[in-house]
Amino acid sequence: MRDEAHSRQAARRLPGFVLAVPAWLWLTVFFVVPFLQIAWFSLGEKPGMFGTHSNAVMSLDRYAEAFSPTFFTIFRATMWMSALGTVACLLVALPAAYFMALKVPAHRRGLMVALVMVPYWTSFLIRTIGWKVILSSEGALAGFLTDVGLIGDPHDLLNTRGAVLLGLIYNYLPLMILPLYVAFDRVDNALGEASKDLGAGRVRTFFQVTLPLARPGIIAGVVLVFIPMMGDYVTPAVLGGAKGTMVGSLIASQFLTAQNWALGSAMAVVLILLTMVVVVLAMALLWGVGWLVHRRSKLVIGTETVKTKKVAIA
Amino acid sequence: MSRPSGTNLALGVWTTLVFVFLFAPIIVITIYSFNGGRLLTAWDGFSLHPFTAIVERPTVRHTVAVSLQTAVVAAILASALGTLAGMAMARFPGRWTGPFTLLLLLVSVTPEIVDGIALLPWFVTLGQDWSLVPFNNGYVRLIIGHSLFATAVVTYIVRARLVGLDASLEEASADLYARPVPTFFKVTLPLVGPAVLAGGLLAFTLSLDNTVISSFINVSGTTSWPVYVLSSVRSGLKPEIAAVSTILLVFTLLVLGLVARVLKRSGSSVTDTMAVA
Amino acid sequence: MNKPADENGDVRILASHAGARAIRRELSRRHFLSLAALVGAGAALSACGTGESGGAAAVEPGAGATGGPVEKTLSIYTWGDYDAPEVIEGFGKTGPKVSLDSYGSNEELISKLVAAKGTSGYDIVVPTGVYIPQLIENKIIVPFNKDLIPNIAKVDPQFLGQDWDPENKYSVCKDWGTTGFVYDTTVIKRDLVTWNDFIDAMQNEASGKTSLLEDPGDVAGLYFWANGIDWNTEDMADYDAYEAEAVKKWAPHIAGFDSYPGTGAMQQNTFALMQNWNGDARLGILEHKQPDRWKWVLAGPTTELWMDNWCIPAGAPHPEAAHAFIDYVLEPENSFREMDYIGYNTGALGIEEMAKERKVELPEMIFFTEEQLATMKNGAVNKAQDRRTEVYDKLKAAASA
Repeated sequence: MRDEAHSRQAARRLPGFVLAVPAWLWLTVFFVVPFLQIAWFSLGEKPGMFGTHSNAVMSLDRYAEAFSPTFFTIFRATMWMSALGTVACLLVALPAAYFMALKVPAHRRGLMVALVMVPYWTSFLIRTIGWKVILSSEGALAGFLTDVGLIGDPHDLLNTRGAVLLGLIYNYLPLMILPLYVAFDRVDNALGEASKDLGAGRVRTFFQVTLPLARPGIIAGVVLVFIPMMGDYVTPAVLGGAKGTMVGSLIASQFLTAQNWALGSAMAVVLILLTMVVVVLAMALLWGVGWLVHRRSKLVIGTETVKTKKVAIA
Repeated sequence: MSRPSGTNLALGVWTTLVFVFLFAPIIVITIYSFNGGRLLTAWDGFSLHPFTAIVERPTVRHTVAVSLQTAVVAAILASALGTLAGMAMARFPGRWTGPFTLLLLLVSVTPEIVDGIALLPWFVTLGQDWSLVPFNNGYVRLIIGHSLFATAVVTYIVRARLVGLDASLEEASADLYARPVPTFFKVTLPLVGPAVLAGGLLAFTLSLDNTVISSFINVSGTTSWPVYVLSSVRSGLKPEIAAVSTILLVFTLLVLGLVARVLKRSGSSVTDTMAVA
Repeated sequence: MNKPADENGDVRILASHAGARAIRRELSRRHFLSLAALVGAGAALSACGTGESGGAAAVEPGAGATGGPVEKTLSIYTWGDYDAPEVIEGFGKTGPKVSLDSYGSNEELISKLVAAKGTSGYDIVVPTGVYIPQLIENKIIVPFNKDLIPNIAKVDPQFLGQDWDPENKYSVCKDWGTTGFVYDTTVIKRDLVTWNDFIDAMQNEASGKTSLLEDPGDVAGLYFWANGIDWNTEDMADYDAYEAEAVKKWAPHIAGFDSYPGTGAMQQNTFALMQNWNGDARLGILEHKQPDRWKWVLAGPTTELWMDNWCIPAGAPHPEAAHAFIDYVLEPENSFREMDYIGYNTGALGIEEMAKERKVELPEMIFFTEEQLATMKNGAVNKAQDRRTEVYDKLKAAASA
């Protein structure tokens, strides 16, 4: 069946490829070309006090400067915060997206998806101020947590690593919920029911039927959350104070305060390359794990009935 | 709908908590929008003054209008580009998918400030040096700037929806029609519906919230709402800022409520029909 | 940086403003791949002439304003919510329709004006003083036609002739402020007076509850002001000493880097000790539930004087309206309204007396005595800028550990 599909797809490859051309062109003209310019800047230098960049003298010196211990200290911290934030987002979003996609009556689903986005239809600064009020040492939350004994000092909420993490989770949660929702939405409820009827437990059904089917959505969510987190620096700094310094702020301070576009560009290129390496490694890992899970579920259900075998293959 | 159970109840409670989490800061801001004081976060008695003050501020209304217009167009654009690209990636993978995925990753990993710094001179080159006049228009610039990451987002989501999903429907259709175009419109498009809806919403939201790129590429007359808010901290944020958020929130919820009503009456929904496909 | 233009790979051409633009357009079209020229063009052009002699040829004085009829519109690019609405409205009644655009940092403003090469469409911009030499050097702002701004005479001479523009050819005071600190007297029970006291309290009572300004210059200033060193020093040994103290001693005690703690975090008592600007501190104290809890200190022995300035960018499409507006806003009555709205001194003559008469609150945080003024010094963008940013980044890295 697969081979037939392939040959048929091969016959249609030309029109298929054409579908991606508009996006490709668009991103090339408005992203790649300007980006090449940044890469070009990174080979130059800052010419004197009042200039931002010059390519009169070409060198890799800016890269030597970009690979500073400060950069790596902050890059490492940023990476761990982003990884932690991504996992937290996934754990928070998974049950909610599952519920929204499979348990909520169909006519309410679209609305719930829209509701997820509504809080973000106001400026990020306003939302962050909302959080600052909630987390403030004078706030009810701090008072409650101090009374319960979960924190020692009401000042322990804001300007901490925890606040940074909260800011990251909050800002990127919709980017996790929506892909997961879309992925779960395509899982036919009947499949789960069938699996259960066949004796597979609820939990087993979830892990062996639903989750593998949602895997592309999970990967999309993880990528969509982790990658922009690596470049973010504003919200963490507002909520986390001195603890919220992310690597993006180093790049911003080169472009803005130091007005050294050459060094800023080099740092940006380094950040991008390092993040890509991390992502590729993580994706390979995820793919490996997913493959194992997928394989197992295929075996288990496949031996039980011919009917659900199709599920696993699909 | 499965039978009610402990698990379902727990899932429902969890989802409710997630929504409480999402709305918590907005509720705080809504309360503070009735603050009679001079500063947003320093409560000084209940007042409707922040709302009346907006009426006297054409600048504020204009920035909100700029943001909304930009977001609608950017979302439509990103949805169109991203849907096509996502379908191509899922249905017609080939040697091109590798580099294209890399491009999408590159788009999403680039910090906004880098996009902003890079786009600004490029727009000037296009608009002034090459006399492509549209690129001197602030709206055009904002829409382009906002569409980049959003296109990548929509592509990922649409691809995730389709990849691995049984292609037999499309194949059957292809067998019947023997032409890809009708197949696309009659079968594939409805199949990706929820993904396009979700992606489009995200694109709209990302555009509405974009601050860093906007602040670099906008031109005279197109200051967007987040840029205005961020630049207002120099003289102390006023409750008016919160009042604008409240109005937007109430308006959005009203529209959503209305949609809910209509859907309930009609007994089905867009997603429903799409899910059937 | 009067280096030869050809170092930028550009041709050295002396031409009129409009002509230069046309030539540059032609050049860029041909050398599209030498993208460095795109933004560098401003810098390249500035290198043509050295300062004023070349300026006359390349820049139309007053952006071509001669006192002719005022245009129908005026576009101002400034900080958000930075002008009294009634002043803007009042000017609108005289004819031109005013549109306001906002930026959040000087760098945004500069990047945009440099890249736009005189086509930004703005008539008035409001940069902070230290950036003005760069704007003049790169021909981003043009000299005023001072005949059209007679009200400059109504500005207190103390706030004219600042370091960046000694003759006010390009800029005039919009408002100015200084840097001091505010502390919570329920946490810090002793009297703090100097920057040394600030540094000491930061490491003791206020440890983990101190915020510094989110500005490498002001954070470096903290060390230099405290130690009697000129804060515009270009001696790298000074920066080494600053780095050693800041990264090793200060870092663990800093809770945040915040440029506007008074109007924000202070309202929730988040910090106990905040380095901040006088206007932000004043509003913060005024609006706080317990104003008596806070004490503002204009710290010594020295500190900063910063100033935002009215300027006209090159290529302003409505120069007559721009001059008319600047003249209008310098009128003491309007100047007072501006001061009352934003809480910073606009520098108009006699404004302090007006403020006393009309009972403006906490005037001592807007107006300063001659002796206090003598301790304030302009900052400067100089060779040490890179080093300042570097130490600041290191401090941030250490503080986040």
